[in-house]
Amino acid sequence: MLFDETTLRKLNQLTLIASRVRSGAMKGERRSSRRGSSVEFADYRNYAPGDDLRRLDWNIYARLERPFIKLLEEEEDLAVHILIDGSQSMNWGEGAENKFQYALKLAAGLGAITLASGDALTVGFLQHGKVTAEFGPSRGQATLSRLFRFLENLQAEGETNLNRAMRDYSIIPRRAGLVILLSDLFANDGYETGLRQLMGRGHEAALVHVLAPDELDPPLAGDIQLVDIETNQTQDVSLDGGLREGYRTRARAWIQSTQTECRKRHIRYLDAVTSQTWDHVLLLEMRRAGFVK
Amino acid sequence: MTLLTPLALSLAALTIPILLLYMLKLRRKQEMVSSTFLWQQLLREQQANAPWQKLKRNLLLLLQLLILAALVFALARPALQVPVVASGSVIVLLDASASMNAVDVNPTRFDSARDSVLDLINGLSPDSSLTLILVAEKPQTLIAAETDKTLLRQALGNAQVSQGSADWESAFALAAGAGSDSTFVIVSDGGLPESGLPALPGEVRFIPIGESQNNLAISALALRPAQKSPQLFAEITNYDSSDRAVLLSIYFNDQLIDARQLSIQANSSRSLTLDDLSNNNGVYKATITTPNSTNSLNSLNAPNSQSSQNTLDSLPLDNTAFAVYQSSASRRVLLVSKGNLFLEQLLASLPGIQPFRALPAADGTIQIPNDLFDLYIFDGIVPPELPNANLLFVNPSSTNTLFEVGGTYNEFKNMQVTEHDLTRFVDWNNVHILQAKTIQTPAWAETLIESDAGPLVFVGETKGQRVAALAFDLKESDLPLQIAYPILFSNLINYLAPPSAFDATQSLEPGESLSILAPSNVDRIVVASPSSQAYTLALNQSTFTQTDELGYYAVNFISGDSNHVEYFAVNLFDGSESNIQPRETIQVGRSTVTPTVSQQIGQRELWGWLAALALLVLMIEWQVFHRRQLPSLPIFRNKLDADREAR
Repeated sequence: MLFDETTLRKLNQLTLIASRVRSGAMKGERRSSRRGSSVEFADYRNYAPGDDLRRLDWNIYARLERPFIKLLEEEEDLAVHILIDGSQSMNWGEGAENKFQYALKLAAGLGAITLASGDALTVGFLQHGKVTAEFGPSRGQATLSRLFRFLENLQAEGETNLNRAMRDYSIIPRRAGLVILLSDLFANDGYETGLRQLMGRGHEAALVHVLAPDELDPPLAGDIQLVDIETNQTQDVSLDGGLREGYRTRARAWIQSTQTECRKRHIRYLDAVTSQTWDHVLLLEMRRAGFVK
Repeated sequence: MTLLTPLALSLAALTIPILLLYMLKLRRKQEMVSSTFLWQQLLREQQANAPWQKLKRNLLLLLQLLILAALVFALARPALQVPVVASGSVIVLLDASASMNAVDVNPTRFDSARDSVLDLINGLSPDSSLTLILVAEKPQTLIAAETDKTLLRQALGNAQVSQGSADWESAFALAAGAGSDSTFVIVSDGGLPESGLPALPGEVRFIPIGESQNNLAISALALRPAQKSPQLFAEITNYDSSDRAVLLSIYFNDQLIDARQLSIQANSSRSLTLDDLSNNNGVYKATITTPNSTNSLNSLNAPNSQSSQNTLDSLPLDNTAFAVYQSSASRRVLLVSKGNLFLEQLLASLPGIQPFRALPAADGTIQIPNDLFDLYIFDGIVPPELPNANLLFVNPSSTNTLFEVGGTYNEFKNMQVTEHDLTRFVDWNNVHILQAKTIQTPAWAETLIESDAGPLVFVGETKGQRVAALAFDLKESDLPLQIAYPILFSNLINYLAPPSAFDATQSLEPGESLSILAPSNVDRIVVASPSSQAYTLALNQSTFTQTDELGYYAVNFISGDSNHVEYFAVNLFDGSESNIQPRETIQVGRSTVTPTVSQQIGQRELWGWLAALALLVLMIEWQVFHRRQLPSLPIFRNKLDADREAR
């Protein structure tokens, strides 16, 4: 699951975008809207009693005989939270099209980008309605191999309950940042409540919708009984051309409505069908969708 | 409606296995999917939308049950009771004579008769058998005592109408032999002999065919040689009940030579004679048409036009007749003799003979000319090599390849003349002979005149050669002084050198055979029928029998590159066929048979329709099944994609 040299180099050039979260705790590589103590000049303001005299611009004072405080740019880091859906339904698809492996690769890629840009990375593994494994928060390229080892040890199983798991994740106080959820969203009670809760904590949310191609266009026909690998629930269907077409329409409509819903809530959305290569998604699609720059 | 094998209905029990199979089949194949999340949503929608989905899911079952029902019902052989003419053992005599070509019923009487027989076949009960006899010039049994309706229909479909007259006596004999205690059904327009038909061993029923008696016919057309030029005799008979006017056109080798309008009274004939015709050989054709100005113009322009004849009457077959004029060509006869006045005089006086004479050389050797002759007469001389032609030996000098010649004798006791065509009117009572040669009559020959000591005159045919021999010298008898001499020699020479290869002066009836004598130098004989079909005759075959068609036949005598054609005509000069008036009754034996109305009960089976229904439903079922399966095929998916894009 390790990245090859080229991909890694490409990943290093990318930076995750968080448009609204501004609460860096440590010095990072990002320009902050806050004024701080870096060397980059930002603005002037009138001196108020109590201001640090070290920041007074003496040159201005000499010229105008009025004291001005020199404001400097603050550079900060970003807290990135990657949440991986670890339910059994994610473990679907043959080989490279396996959704869970695909999600892990995307997580690794996003993690690599995060670490490379000096941001703080936390990876949460959502399973059985709670967070069963967590990585970080950590920063720095040095932790990349630890991240890979962490991801390699994850196994998908059990039922999905995204809402509960995300609430579980949000209960623990964390630095507000960018939350990226990697999931197939096959959850009966939805994912919105969980995401809303996270956003209520000040996080900015992004959603990567991982789907296998045969979930969009199932290669099935005739009278069959569908068995849900996650819940073992069965569903009888007599598949004819009309019903298949209905399913395809339904799947497209579902993706469409999820996308609309996300846009309404300022959640960035990307549907990743596993028939695309994962690095294509990471390097092109995500850039196009505004995840990275 | 009755069921012939109601036991087959028990096969309806097969419904149970089908239902069981269907239940088993509904134990659906399990397919793992990552989540039924979307499926549940989809099915909730669909079921809300279409309450008849359940029914649609069972459509295949319903169709399968329908197929089973149709098949079981078909096997039970439902049958409708229909009235038919006959059942049991049925013998059908189907008239195929020339009058059945009449078009007064659409399309023809024969087709109408065939439809009647078809109805009879369709209505036969399953245990009935049917024999079909086609009554034409030579009646033939098309199918005997058959119960399979398919075979019967096939045999009926093969039946063809002829252009000749029907031989009812033979047909009745055939029918009587086919079965006693049967029902005999005669399907005819009534052209049966008025009397003389034997009674049939069973019940006789009659299905009359035909409506109209509207027919005019050329009832005679003949040529005869007159003094200067041949004479043509034609007779036209009106069989209709009203007076008619017709246009008679006469063509010679397709050139119109005479056309005249004749009015003919009902049920009577008119004849005419044409004189001063051309002396050339050729075919005369007479047609009668409606005396309509446009038609006569048409017939002038297009003498073979059939369209103008169709409106004249109901039977166009007898509106055309042919006659052939074949002037007797002079026959070349070579007389090889040291000099015989009697023979020379005789040959010179016989009509149609072109005599030649060859003298032997001084040393006795004979030089036979290379030219071919129709007849060689060897008088007192036998050449070492006989020409391959017809030969007449008079006083043969030595043994040859044809017969052996012995010594002479002069005791003639008990001279007798055999009854023969060639010895007709030959009076031998006053003939005296001085001496004759002892000759054994060969196996191929027959003796015409003989004495106790041996044959005096014999004739015969061997290897295509006609040979005759006189065992005595004419000069050593008083035969040349008797009346018997010209009669006998005229007969012999006509036999040995016949005027023509066949006698075409009289036209033939359809089906009548023609005997053709091939001239000696002919390689093969090809006869072309009026419909341009060619029959090749073997040289040793002297009769031609395929004269079923009306019209004129061309006989081609082909030798090497040369081709010599002679014609003969086949005409329907048969009043009983031309008189197409449908009869109300027919006379069989002593009883009069009236038309039969359908009265007995027959059965028309319906299983064919049910089987067809089952097949149709099977095809629908296949279609429905594949509508469900096909989308998984890539080609179908592409089509769906295209549809989607179109939308």
